[in-house]
Amino acid sequence: MRRRSTYITHPSRAVNPADIQVYKNQLLLGALKAAREERLTLGLQELPQEVVEVLKESHELHVRWAPEHPYNTTVPFLSRISPGLHVQYTPLKEKQPGHLCDLIHKVFGQNLRCESPQSTFTSPPLISERFAQTASLQYYSLLSSLRPLAAYLQRNVCTPSDLVCLHTATLLNIADSVDLDYDSISHTLTLTVMWSRQPDIIYDPIGEFTTLDAWNLDIEQKGSDKVEVGILSPGPGLEPSDLQLSGFLTVVGEDDHPKATLFSFPSRHHALSRDQAKQQRYNVSFDKPTGLHPILRISFPSANLLTEPENKPSGSVCALQTYLTLPSHIFADKYAFLSNDPLFQKSHNLGQLRSIIGETDLEAPDYVVKKWGSTVLLELQTPNSTVTNHKGSVDGPWDVTVPLHLRYLEPKAGGTSEIEVPWPIVFWACTAEDGTKFPVNPFDRTQLGYDGLFGPRTMFYHLNPAPQNGMMVERIAVPVLDTDTASPTTIEYLTVVSIALGFLWVLFKLRSAFRPASMNVEGKSSDVGKKKQ
Amino acid sequence: MPSLLAYVFSSRTAVFFSALLLRAVLLVYGIYQDSVSAIKYTDIDYYVFTDAARAVARHSSPYDRATYRYTPLLAWILLPTSWGGLWFHFGKVLFALSDLIAGWLILMVLKRRGMREPEALKYASVWLVNPMVANISTRGSSEGLLCVLVMTLLWAFETRRVTLSGILLGLCVHSKIYPFIYGASMLWALETRSSGSMNTKAQSVFKFFNADRILLVSTSLLTFTALNVLMYNNYGLPFLQHTFLHHLTRIDHRHNFSPYNTLLYLSSAQTTVPSFSGSSLRFSFESLAFIPQLLLSAVLLPVGLAKRHLPATMLAQTLAFVTFNKVCTSQYFLWYLIFLPLYLADSSLTARPALGVTALALWVLGQAAWLQQGYQLEFLGRSTFVPGLFAASLAFFAINCWILGIVVQDVVEKPIEAPNTSRLTGARAPISASTPTPEVKRTASERVIGTVGPTSTRPRGNSTLDISDITNVHLGPRNRVLKSN
Repeated sequence: MRRRSTYITHPSRAVNPADIQVYKNQLLLGALKAAREERLTLGLQELPQEVVEVLKESHELHVRWAPEHPYNTTVPFLSRISPGLHVQYTPLKEKQPGHLCDLIHKVFGQNLRCESPQSTFTSPPLISERFAQTASLQYYSLLSSLRPLAAYLQRNVCTPSDLVCLHTATLLNIADSVDLDYDSISHTLTLTVMWSRQPDIIYDPIGEFTTLDAWNLDIEQKGSDKVEVGILSPGPGLEPSDLQLSGFLTVVGEDDHPKATLFSFPSRHHALSRDQAKQQRYNVSFDKPTGLHPILRISFPSANLLTEPENKPSGSVCALQTYLTLPSHIFADKYAFLSNDPLFQKSHNLGQLRSIIGETDLEAPDYVVKKWGSTVLLELQTPNSTVTNHKGSVDGPWDVTVPLHLRYLEPKAGGTSEIEVPWPIVFWACTAEDGTKFPVNPFDRTQLGYDGLFGPRTMFYHLNPAPQNGMMVERIAVPVLDTDTASPTTIEYLTVVSIALGFLWVLFKLRSAFRPASMNVEGKSSDVGKKKQ
Repeated sequence: MPSLLAYVFSSRTAVFFSALLLRAVLLVYGIYQDSVSAIKYTDIDYYVFTDAARAVARHSSPYDRATYRYTPLLAWILLPTSWGGLWFHFGKVLFALSDLIAGWLILMVLKRRGMREPEALKYASVWLVNPMVANISTRGSSEGLLCVLVMTLLWAFETRRVTLSGILLGLCVHSKIYPFIYGASMLWALETRSSGSMNTKAQSVFKFFNADRILLVSTSLLTFTALNVLMYNNYGLPFLQHTFLHHLTRIDHRHNFSPYNTLLYLSSAQTTVPSFSGSSLRFSFESLAFIPQLLLSAVLLPVGLAKRHLPATMLAQTLAFVTFNKVCTSQYFLWYLIFLPLYLADSSLTARPALGVTALALWVLGQAAWLQQGYQLEFLGRSTFVPGLFAASLAFFAINCWILGIVVQDVVEKPIEAPNTSRLTGARAPISASTPTPEVKRTASERVIGTVGPTSTRPRGNSTLDISDITNVHLGPRNRVLKSN
């Protein structure tokens, strides 16, 4: 096992190296206010058998999870995804049945809708097989809590006596980002967990003490494990596309003191400048009443200030984009967007539809849809991209609306079903200079769904979501057939009786046509009448 | 004003010019609205056709466009829409012209059945200057094209062009499946002129298969098969899947006018969701829905009525087919509206204005009530499935059955037409009174009452003018479902 533990403090709270106590196999540091990332790299032999079985079927497997509450990003952890569980998967053999869904159920919860990768996962079109940036199959599910994952690790990975392990696993419950990555070339599984800030309260069961609003570092190196600890602060990058970190690195068990370091690297993901980040915060809501054709509204506080990132490289071209992750009960009609009708686009402040992947059947009810749902990448219009008709002097909020449709849900007592839709993410996609090598970033994060839809030299400047109720999941009440008002049997009975009565009424009116008397109006047809009887 | 109206509806030029003008105005208005508003006048289906036509222009399959469920012929005909610019509206012009041709054929059929031109024009106006019809075709719904085919079929049959009828029937059934019901009534109407007596069963069976019947069946089957083979060779399985097999697997759970709708929603959820809560259905009656529907439209109505008055029989068949269908949207109403002028001329709806007005009002109100509930569901998100939509669709079903009963009774009361003899000798036989059969006398006298009697102008006035109310409510929700706005 390899462990890389990274703490990012604010530059104003930079750590004094003298405070970092490095012992033979241990590193100690108290009361650290910092964002934290833990990266564990595990060999197959260190994993439970059922996990190994699934990994051996995989060419690559990437799991991404984000919480439903908003969090602040810190350099270098700047990427964003919609809240929930995202899986990118390429099986080793295309048509194998696979046990991935079983494992997902065990690790993330039994109630997740996952039948098999072939039937539930969606497949993005491969632009180029050789340079495939996206996995061949995608899956998503809303998942508000990682408690099942923490419990799974405690049960299947930690030994019952390993208090540190048991305790550390519970920290997953307050994580802001969790990634799992495997590929068949390295044969290793990487678990990356990120906390955007120190916990409000944390209890150490070994030392039996409680820490408020800080991390207490007590990092041990055991056996052949390699443990690396970085305590770093961001600084201004040399290039606009670069991030810079400085601070101290310690390889526990090897180094006897923390080693000062300063390094910079290009990054795919960026934050906006402080001011712009505040000016371009977005809120997401559904117009009321939602009906069966809900309109998703992305609101920005200021139209005039919705401009390209100030910190982009000069010469870089940017476009504002949104990436929607839509569970199967809600979908977008691609044909409405593909017509590229300027009037439609202007009325919604939408640009072109860049990508729509997954379950886009326009008619199927939710209960016959097998796929998990769909993803939509849409360009947004900004006040500055539409010079005409938007007077630059008048400032106000800027709203973008995305017309969506609901699928029929199964009948239910009460007449409404509540569904959840995760907030989309919004970002400026900007071009990076030729020759920018993002993979050298030790914190590079890919396989997020949208990144594969762009060229390899694209930078993402993320806008910050600002939910009013603290949740980045919208709930919609969907009208369904109310089984309380009329039971299925009543409906069946009334339908059948009505049809029968209608049918009999027409027969009653028709009866005299089959009477011999009426057939005899004309002499010639009398034999016809006989024939009919 | 009344005299002006009377003039307009009695001059052929005036009627067709008004019909043309109405459509031209709507077309131009539609193009204007589309160019200034994100809410389009053009029907959502028209974009499906034109996308498919573009696909054909690129030498790919029209079925590459999702929800294209029509014959490739439609995409072929609409190829000019892929040429860009104003050509995009070519289909709508074509559909609008189809309306006019259908109206002209109605006129021909009416006159052939012995009606004088001014009067025939008034009835043809029910179709020609009907705003609902003009609206549907100028928005780009292809039903107008089908209607002109069906009316040509009737005209060909009435003029004893059996081979042409067979070819048209095959074409109609290839385009939309339902016109096969007309095959039944036409076959039945093609009675052998009975000269001798029929003694044995064998003889009567043999007599049934007369030359005309064999010709009609063979030409229609041949056309139908040839077209399908051609399309299958061109587009393969997707053609079969989308034009025919789709109708076997579709579940029709979305709300529509059909009385079966709520039941279908329930049962579709029940078969796919095993854990579905609530008391389960005992038996899937909806799978037997075709029995009353086809029994009426393809067997009982043709056999009972076809020999008495074929156009009215076709109206009754279509009304029965649409009313008892498992799915029903407002475009289906056009299928039977095309026959209305041919039936109204000699119907109790015009003979008794109160009845006619009541029927029209109930038909409109039935839809209005349903649409109101549908609006509440679709746009306000209220769960109006039960009782609202369920009750409204059953009520609309009842109204349609009642109207169907009136139509059936009217036709039943007509005598059996001699197998085309009178019309073979001369189209204007009743007027010239060359064949003084009881049948002719009766219809002629009824017609006199219809034209001269004091009650005559009102009903016609109602049928031509009041139908305009329908335009306000003609939009079924299915058409609206995916309307991007």
